[in-house]
Amino acid sequence: MKQIKKIGFWLLVLFLLILICLPGIWIFVSAFRPNPEILAKPANWIPDRWTLHQFTQMFSINGYVSVPAFKYLMNSVIISSVSTVIAITIGMMGGYAFARFNFKGKNKIFLSLMLARAVPGISLSLPLFILFAKLGIINTSFGVILVYVAMNVPFTIWLTDGFFRQIPKEMSEVARTDGCTRFQAFWNVELPLAGPGIGAAAIFAFLLSWNEYALASIITRTVHSKTLPIGMMDYLDEFTINWAGMCAIAVVMIIPALILTFIVQKHLVSGLTFGGVKG
Amino acid sequence: MAKVELKNLTKKYGDVVAVQNMDLTIPHNEFLVLVGPSGCGKSTTLRMIAGLEEISGGEIFIGDQKVNEKDPKDRNVSMVFQNYALYPHMTVEENLGFSLKIAKVNPDEIEAKVKDAVNILGLEDLRKRKPSQLSGGQRQRVAMGRAIVRRPDAFLFDEPLSNLDAKLRTQMRTEIKKLHQKLKTTVIYVTHDQVEAMTLADRIIIMKDGFIEQIGSPIDVFNNPVNVFVATFIGSPPMNIIECEITKSNNQIMIKLDNDILVHCPKDKMGKLADLKKVIVGIRAEDIVPVKSFSNDQKSIWFFSKAIDLAEPLGTETQIFFKLQNKEIISRMYNPRPVDVGENINFQIETNKIHFFNYETKKAL
Repeated sequence: MKQIKKIGFWLLVLFLLILICLPGIWIFVSAFRPNPEILAKPANWIPDRWTLHQFTQMFSINGYVSVPAFKYLMNSVIISSVSTVIAITIGMMGGYAFARFNFKGKNKIFLSLMLARAVPGISLSLPLFILFAKLGIINTSFGVILVYVAMNVPFTIWLTDGFFRQIPKEMSEVARTDGCTRFQAFWNVELPLAGPGIGAAAIFAFLLSWNEYALASIITRTVHSKTLPIGMMDYLDEFTINWAGMCAIAVVMIIPALILTFIVQKHLVSGLTFGGVKG
Repeated sequence: MAKVELKNLTKKYGDVVAVQNMDLTIPHNEFLVLVGPSGCGKSTTLRMIAGLEEISGGEIFIGDQKVNEKDPKDRNVSMVFQNYALYPHMTVEENLGFSLKIAKVNPDEIEAKVKDAVNILGLEDLRKRKPSQLSGGQRQRVAMGRAIVRRPDAFLFDEPLSNLDAKLRTQMRTEIKKLHQKLKTTVIYVTHDQVEAMTLADRIIIMKDGFIEQIGSPIDVFNNPVNVFVATFIGSPPMNIIECEITKSNNQIMIKLDNDILVHCPKDKMGKLADLKKVIVGIRAEDIVPVKSFSNDQKSIWFFSKAIDLAEPLGTETQIFFKLQNKEIISRMYNPRPVDVGENINFQIETNKIHFFNYETKKAL
C-alpha cells in the first residue's frame, strides 16, 4: 500500500513537471525544425528532421541575415550588465545605509522606494516616451539602461538591506576598534559577509533587465538599441509569422538566463527569505 | 598603556538620559569593573570610551589626549564583545592579525605578534580554523587574542563571559585576571554579574540609571555599601533588607524587627537613629547566625527565635529561609545539621555587622 502511494505521488510529480516544462520543451524542439512542421496538425511531437537553419541565418553564418540576432544579443548583454552593475552598486550602498544608519525620514524613504516598485512600469510608458524623445535619448542603449537602473535600484536596496541586517552590527564595530575606517570595515568585513546575498540580488536584477519587454518595446526603435525580447518581434511579418525563428531566438535568450539561475538558485532562495525576514 | 579619564560625561537619547555627568579617572594598569542592572548606562559608557557611541556632553581623555572627536580606529583601544564578533570569513590567525594588516604592519612582524598572542592564549592548534569550527570558550579566547595583538592603551570588555556556561565562565574569569597581570594594561570591564565584578576588579563602579552609586574596592563596597541599592546588588544571596519602626521607652531606643521582636539600638548608632521614626536594617545572610542558645551579652548582639519556612542544603552550608515583617529573610548555617520546616531556630546577629539606612533617602547611616 505504502509502495503504491509512493509511486502515485511520483507519477503526479512527473505529470506536473511535464505540464510546467511543456512550453519550454515545445520552444526548444520547435527551434530546431522547419516552420511547416510546427504548424502541422495534429501536432508532431518529435521532429522528423532536425535543422540548425534558423540559427545559421540568425547569426549570418552563411552570409544571409534573417534577423540581426547577434546585434540584439550584444545589446541585451551590454544593457543588462551595465544596468545591473550600476543598480547593484547603488542598491548595495543604499541597502547598507538603510540597515546601519538612522536618518530623518528613513522609514518614509524606504516605503516610497517600495511603493515605486508597485507602480506598473507600463503605465509610465507614455510620459517616459515623451520625456526621452525630448531629451533625445530615445532609441539609445543609455535610455534603456537608465530605465532599468531605476527599475532595479529599489529592489536591490530591499534585498541587500535584508542581508546587511543579518550581519551583527558588532562586526563593523569591532573592525572599527581594530583600526578600520567605516568604509574599510564595510569593505573588509561586511561586504564579504553579505557577498552571496549581493550576488543573488545582482543576478536577480540582471534577469529582470534581460527579460524586460514592455518598456524596451517603447524606448527602442531600431537595431541600434533593440534587445532580444524586442528583436523577437522581427519574425512577425505583415502576413506571416516565422514561428521557428521566434523559437530559435527564444532559445538564445533562455539559455544564459537558465545558466545564471542554476548558478545562484541556492543563494536566490536564501536571498529572498533573508530579504523578507528582517530582524 | 595609559590612564583613561572621563570628565562630566553625558549621553542622552532624545529625552532619555543614559549616562549623567560622569566623572572618573582610571589610572594606568587598573582593572576597573562597571557593574549594574540592565539599562544602567554601563555599556553606553564603555561604547563612548571606544568611540562607537557619540557623546552628548563632557570629555574623554585616553593618555593625555582628548579623544572626543576621534574615530574608534584612532583611539588605540581594543574591545571584546559579548557575542565575540569574530570575523566569520577569516581563520583564527587572520582574525588575530587583521588589525595589524589594516595598520600595514609588515607580514613578519604580524606573524611574530600573532604567534605571541596564540601562545599566551593556548590557541596553537587552532590557527587555521574558522570561527564556526570553534567552541564557545575558544571563540572567547580568539576574541581576547584579537584584542591583545594590538597592545592597546586600554582593553574594553563588554560582558565578555555572559554567553558561556557557568563552568567555563569561572575558568575564563581566572584567565582574564591572569592575562591582566601579564599584560599590565588598563582594563575597563562591563558586567551585570556581581560575582565577576567582585573577583576581577581592582575597583568596582556600581551604576544605576546613568549615575554612579558607589566607587571602591570590592571589599570596600561589600562591607560599606553607601545605600540600599548597592547593599542589595553586591553579595550573593543579596543582603536582607527589613523596614523597621523605631520606638522609644525609658530613654531606650528600640528597633522593631518584627511584631514581637524588639531589639536595642546599637550604642554607636543612637545619635543617628534618635530622631527617626523608621529605619531600614540591612543584614547579610552570613551575619544572621543560627545558634543553640543565647549568650548573655545583650548590648552588642541581637537575639530572636523564629520558625523557619524552608531550608536549602548546599553541602558546605544550609540556607535557611524565614520571615520578618512578612519579608523573606535568608540566613546561612555553616556546619549544617538537618533542619525541619517549621522548626523554631535561635538566631543571633552581631550589631557591628548590621547596616542601617535612612528610610527616606535609602542612604547609609
